[in-house]
Amino acid sequence: MPTILSPDDLITRLRSSDDTVRGPAWQGAATAGAAAVKPLAGLMADGERETARAARRALWVVVRHAGRPGAAKEAAAVTHELILCLENQPVAVRHEVLWMLSEIGGDEAILPMAVLLSDPLFREDARCALTRLPGRKATAALRTAFTSAPEDFKFALAESLRTRGDSVRGYPTRKLVPSRPTTVRASNAG
Amino acid sequence: MKTTSLLLPRRSFLKAGAAALGTAAFGFPALLPSRARAATGRPGANGRLTLAYIGVGGRGMGNLNAVGPRLARGELAVAAVCDVDENRLAKALAKAGPGAVPYRDYRYILERKDIDAVVISTPDHWHAANMVHAAQCGKHVYVEKPACCTIAEGVAMARAARDHKVCVQVGSQGRSQEECFLANRYIANGNIGKVSQVTCWHYESPVDVNPVPDAAPPPELDWDLWLGPLAWRPYNAKYCHGTFRWIMESGGGQIRDRGAHVMSNALWIMNADRQVFAGSKDRASPVTIAAKGTLPTRGLWDTAVTMEVTYQFKNPDWTLGWSQPGVRLPYFDAEKAKALKIRDTYGAVYHGSRDKLIVWAGDGQTFTERKAIDWVPGPGAKTVHQSPEFDHYADWLQAIKKGGEPVMNIEAGVAAAYLTVLGNLSLILGRPLTWDPVKREIVGDDHARRLMSRPQRFPYVV
Repeated sequence: MPTILSPDDLITRLRSSDDTVRGPAWQGAATAGAAAVKPLAGLMADGERETARAARRALWVVVRHAGRPGAAKEAAAVTHELILCLENQPVAVRHEVLWMLSEIGGDEAILPMAVLLSDPLFREDARCALTRLPGRKATAALRTAFTSAPEDFKFALAESLRTRGDSVRGYPTRKLVPSRPTTVRASNAG
Repeated sequence: MKTTSLLLPRRSFLKAGAAALGTAAFGFPALLPSRARAATGRPGANGRLTLAYIGVGGRGMGNLNAVGPRLARGELAVAAVCDVDENRLAKALAKAGPGAVPYRDYRYILERKDIDAVVISTPDHWHAANMVHAAQCGKHVYVEKPACCTIAEGVAMARAARDHKVCVQVGSQGRSQEECFLANRYIANGNIGKVSQVTCWHYESPVDVNPVPDAAPPPELDWDLWLGPLAWRPYNAKYCHGTFRWIMESGGGQIRDRGAHVMSNALWIMNADRQVFAGSKDRASPVTIAAKGTLPTRGLWDTAVTMEVTYQFKNPDWTLGWSQPGVRLPYFDAEKAKALKIRDTYGAVYHGSRDKLIVWAGDGQTFTERKAIDWVPGPGAKTVHQSPEFDHYADWLQAIKKGGEPVMNIEAGVAAAYLTVLGNLSLILGRPLTWDPVKREIVGDDHARRLMSRPQRFPYVV
């Protein structure tokens, strides 16, 4: 039976410079639960690279444990804490949190995620994350964003809506449109 | 062609939106006119196929070298090479010869009507988008293994190949190797009895023991295009050419890299592709997948170092085990192993009711036991697919020219990749999964079901 760490104990171990302490700590974080979300998110921006990485992995372990069948209350509690992280964490942390919500977020996550569709820093990750959420409410949020989005982002939102079975007039996919040419010239051939 | 009805013609795109999107400054290269050699995807009257190579790093150069004799005989032509790394591109261009045109973006290649087929050797996270787009443009495809990184990608790849009637061979070459053929024929003819268990062994995934910070990408690399469908992240020297294999979102570790060889052979020999990737008319039963393993305690790489996965099939019942490192079984002839550099650090044992058979390695070099090599089939013996010249490319080219399915067609390739994807999913979720091969979905686990797809960064979508 693995030891269940308190959030404080977990954070202390993640701050260790010893791989044999830090590694097992994040790998055993599954049962740390919702109470550990905020401190782990905070540690994800730590200046010590391996500490930040361990915190990120610990939070993923928490999320994936909470998503197991029959644990709806636990998933909801973790989701609630993740939503709060969307408001006040550094950019890189919020990007990661969006993807975490894409895995376990329910209807309550849709609006906070959709708000970020209007922020150029977050909109592509928010679009991807929302595309993964099941249900009509997520589709409706993407549709609402589509109506007010800048022209260049409408193409991406249209892609999401079509993926979810919604029809969109105009804004065809750009997936086959080439981008930058190479600077290597054919005459280089030996 | 339902999908292509949504495609924006490039000419229209340039006219309508380039300035607004800030792309007007891009100097699009002149596109070569059709050489009227053949309709797209069909070899010309002289039977010569015109190929393009997408991704020309280590594996891509290997694939380019592999067709050298056919190029020399005039059976093939290489019209284009493509890579997002200009150093690699320049080297490949020199290899491909004066007839080839270099590209950074593979979509220029897909516009060319004179190119019949593409060979895709990009990082794994690009395989699905590359292959689906090529199929939608009417190109036959040779795509490296593993076919896909997610369940949804595999479904899209199989659908694209079917809808656009192109021939796809996935690069798990084991099925075309002579001794894999001999092993398959030996087992198919009952020589070891009914096989109820296949156990694979493979050395461990590496650990990033000297991690480095994120940094600016090298000038020769188009990092955004290298990432393609993946969520954007900063460049890191430990996450690029070759090393992508040790990142879960891209390479998936040894199980997805080599499992797509060793377990591909297992599915072939057990005649079980459709126990994983079944059609609506098949009566395949659910498969259970249970994985455990150890993850690295430091560094960027996040794939399992050691790993044990058990796949339980029903109707017919058999068990497939993937084990890193498992129990290594030395090749039976030490001198030959040394002379031929036979790798016995991975392989599989087929456990029958009367005997067992070992198949070593399982990729471009595959070896089996003497009893299978020496066995002579009698009258009425069962036959199994035999690739011409025991050559995976020849098998693909034959299927293009004469019809029929290559041995590692896209559905077989997806089946093998699915085993690896499901193994990794079970590992990271920390629980067993149940797979419905007919509906092609995970059942009884809503969280895991969401992980059947990973929304792709626009516009790098299938």
